[in-house]
Formats: sequence, C-alpha cells, structure tokens
Amino acid sequence: MRIFGFLSKKVGDLTVKYSNLPESYIKRSYEQVYWKNPTGYPQYPKAQVTRKKFRFTTNRPWTAQFRQQNETGVLRKKVFLEPVGEWSFFKGDRVEVMVGKDKGKQGIVTQVIQERNWVFVEGLNTHLRVVGKDKDFPGVTVQSEAPLLVTTDVKLVDPENLKPTEIEWRYTEEGEKVRVSLASSRIIPVPKSAEETIDYKSKDLYIANPDKDTSADVVTKITFEAKLRTFEMDIMESMGIKEDRVPAKSYWY
Amino acid sequence: MNIVFRNNLFKYVATTCFRSQLTATKLNVSFNRTLHTSNVSHDLMEFFDDKKNWNETNIKVGRAWKLDELRIKSNTDLHKLWYVLLKERNMLYTMEHECKEKVRLFPNPERIDKVQESMKNIETVVRERNIAYYTLETGETGERPVEQVVNRFGLKENYEKSEYIIPKFMNKKWVRPYLEHGLINSLAVKKFYRLYKEKLHNETRKARNRDYNHVQQLLKRFPDMDLEKLKAEYPNVDIEKAMRTKKARGHYFPKY
Repeated sequence: MRIFGFLSKKVGDLTVKYSNLPESYIKRSYEQVYWKNPTGYPQYPKAQVTRKKFRFTTNRPWTAQFRQQNETGVLRKKVFLEPVGEWSFFKGDRVEVMVGKDKGKQGIVTQVIQERNWVFVEGLNTHLRVVGKDKDFPGVTVQSEAPLLVTTDVKLVDPENLKPTEIEWRYTEEGEKVRVSLASSRIIPVPKSAEETIDYKSKDLYIANPDKDTSADVVTKITFEAKLRTFEMDIMESMGIKEDRVPAKSYWY
Repeated sequence: MNIVFRNNLFKYVATTCFRSQLTATKLNVSFNRTLHTSNVSHDLMEFFDDKKNWNETNIKVGRAWKLDELRIKSNTDLHKLWYVLLKERNMLYTMEHECKEKVRLFPNPERIDKVQESMKNIETVVRERNIAYYTLETGETGERPVEQVVNRFGLKENYEKSEYIIPKFMNKKWVRPYLEHGLINSLAVKKFYRLYKEKLHNETRKARNRDYNHVQQLLKRFPDMDLEKLKAEYPNVDIEKAMRTKKARGHYFPKY
C-alpha cells in the first residue's frame, strides 16, 4: 500500500533490529490514519489520509511517549538530516568526541538513534538537570548525556593506535562486510553489544519460551523431500485420503 | 472443514517426534513459533491463553518463521504448523478482544503480527511448490486465472476470472458489455481518464519539487556534505543545478 512505502523510509533498520518487533507492528503502532476509503467499492480508490511528518526523538516509535509527542495537530519544525550513506556506528563502539567541552575524549556508544543521526556516548557531552523539584523537595540532580551527530561530532577510533579515523566498508576475502580504518587499514569489528535488543542482551542469553518457541535444531532440520506432487496431493497421500472422482469440466471467464 | 480430517491431524500430532526440545545446544538461530505438541484439548478454553499468563504484562516469544526456514520443511510439517499458528492466532485475537472488554492491557500485541507473518510465509512456500508442479505438468500455473482488462473507468485492472459450469456463450446472466469497447470510449470516461492522469502528474511533479527543495535546503545547511551520498539518496535531483540556486546559498562566503 502507498502508505507503507512512505513510512518505511522513516524508521532506521537499527531501530527495527533493536526493537525485536515485526516491521508491520512498528508501522501499525505509530501510523495515524485519519481517514481510509472503504474497501470493496470500485468507485473509491485505495486512498487514505494519514500523518506523514513525525518528530523522532529518544522515545522509540512504538512507545506511548512518542505518540504523545506526535499527537494530532502537533506540528514540529522539519529536522534536516545529512545523508549518512551506510550506517557505521553501533552500540558498544569506541568513539572520540570531536566537539564540545569533552572534545578529544573517548567513550563507548550506549545508544544509537538512526532517525536523527544521533549517538549517545557514555559519560561524555553531559549536562546536569534537576529531576522531581517540588515545593518541599529540592530535587535530584542527574547527569544526562546529550546526543552527538554521527556525521560531524563523533569519529570511530582505530583500535591499533587509539586515534580517531575515517572508515570505509569493505569486503574481506571470506566475503564478509567489515569496517576498515583508512589511516591504518585495520579492521574495526562490530561490537558484540550491537546485537542487543529489548528482549535479550545477546542471542545466547535468550531464554526460549518453552510453550511457544521452537528450538534451533528443530528449525534447521531439513525434512523436505522433492516429490512430483502438489501440496494437496502430498497431504492426501500421507493421510491415506483417496480421491478417485474426476471434476466436471468447468469454464473460467 | 470436516471432522474426520481434523481427528487424523490430531493423531498425527500426537505420534510425531516433533517435540520442542528445551535446549542443551547453543542456539544460533533466534527462536520461532512452534510445533507445540502437548496436545491438550481443553475444548473451548483453548481459545484462551494459559491461566498463568492472564496477569502477565510481558510475554516473551520468539520471532516469526522466515521463508528460508519454511522452505526446508516437508508438506506435512507445513500443514501441521499452519494449524498450530491458526490456533495461536485465534487465541491471541480472543485474548485481545477479552482484554478490550475488561479494559485491561493486552500484553505484546506484536505476537499477532508475528503469527500473521509466519502464516503468510507458509502460504508463499506452498503456492511456490504448487506453481512449480503445475507449470511443469501443465503449461499454466494452477492459480486463479487473472486477465488485465480496461475497467469502466478507463483504467487497467486485474480481472479475476470465475468458474462456471456452462460456457460463456450459453450464460445469459453473465454480462460484461463495459469491457468490450463501447462505454469506455464515451466522453465521460475520457474526461475522467484525462483528469485522473492530471492528478497523478501533479503528484509526481510535487514529489519532484519536494525532493529538489529538500536538496537545496540540505546544501544550504550542510556545506561540507558528501555529495555522492546525497546523489545516492536523491538520484532524480540535479545536484549541480541545485547548488547554483539562491535557496542553496548558505550564510557564509562560498568556497571557490
């Protein structure tokens, strides 16, 4: 449908991977369809009136806070994103901050928000904010990190000499796509914490649901046999259903 | 669906060796929807979830079955998996409805999407296998015949043919005069077609202008941007032309 084509460009694939949710669900959770033409009437085309401009923030698209920030009638100024090309920053990467008061310091990426080209580095580029200030209560001061732009503010660090470098995506001899630092031609591997999602920190730590999940060996077991049968014929054979009747001649028009 | 068939299915499910193994091995593959063969028949209560899940706020479940994982399975396995997924889907929809009625939180609604995706993938695999057989044995696919026709609005449409016992010339009730010349050459249809094409043209023109304006704004705000990446994202925009415009001029002295 037209609307899926529109919305699919908005949410980054790292966000989809991190959420561990099916794409159709994510689209369903944040789309706002105001009017949809009824189906089954040839005179009404498949048209709908939906919201097209969303403001992406640290609140992920399937959350209620995102819904609140993108309420009906709430219009925000457009955010211009520099084209990044292939995304090269993952959770757990060591990066150096190039701007701000923490310029020159290195840290580890804790959060990646592709929709705004943002990266949050642990403990760097922080500011203090007071939480829960009341009449009686003075409030708690919290140090929170501000986002850094992937294109300008942050650079990946070469693991060999711990200096910031430009990187390129190249293929190894095995055919694997890796990041290579242009200064020393050393491979910067994608960190293990990049495979973290909301449901599990890493794939081996995931605990299967005993009632609903199928284990990996059962899934990868090959039971297919190439037979010259249709699906229905195969099932009938295995169930012992015999059909000798010949269908009458029918016409298709 | 007749009763005999259903009973056979259950017998198969009970005797099969398809048990979901609680693993000892390291699982490289993320988990999937199951062949859950506990085969308990709680009659109508199967429409509802396990009682211990009724007050849960987060029920963790693996991802949907992928196409490649289903293609290596036999037809009987796909057949059984379809019914397992169908029952799961019914259960999820019942729980969703019930939660709405009782004004409670329905935990993890993405489970429905996962089941739907798995079922869609099973259908794709089964149709692939059937099409392969029919195109090999007969010339055509065994699917419902579809013909591209011009409908009464003058637009191309996929007309799905129906099955009849009597041939076309004998069938007095079946009439499709609008498809055979005649009305699609009328003034009204021609006018509609003209206006519809104008509407589509306007949409493409606006999209083109929108992209061009967006590129101009990007050039204004990001003077040191990688132009190749910009070209990759907006292949239909003339970036050289955009750079020469007034809108793309930034508030700095241009580099020569």
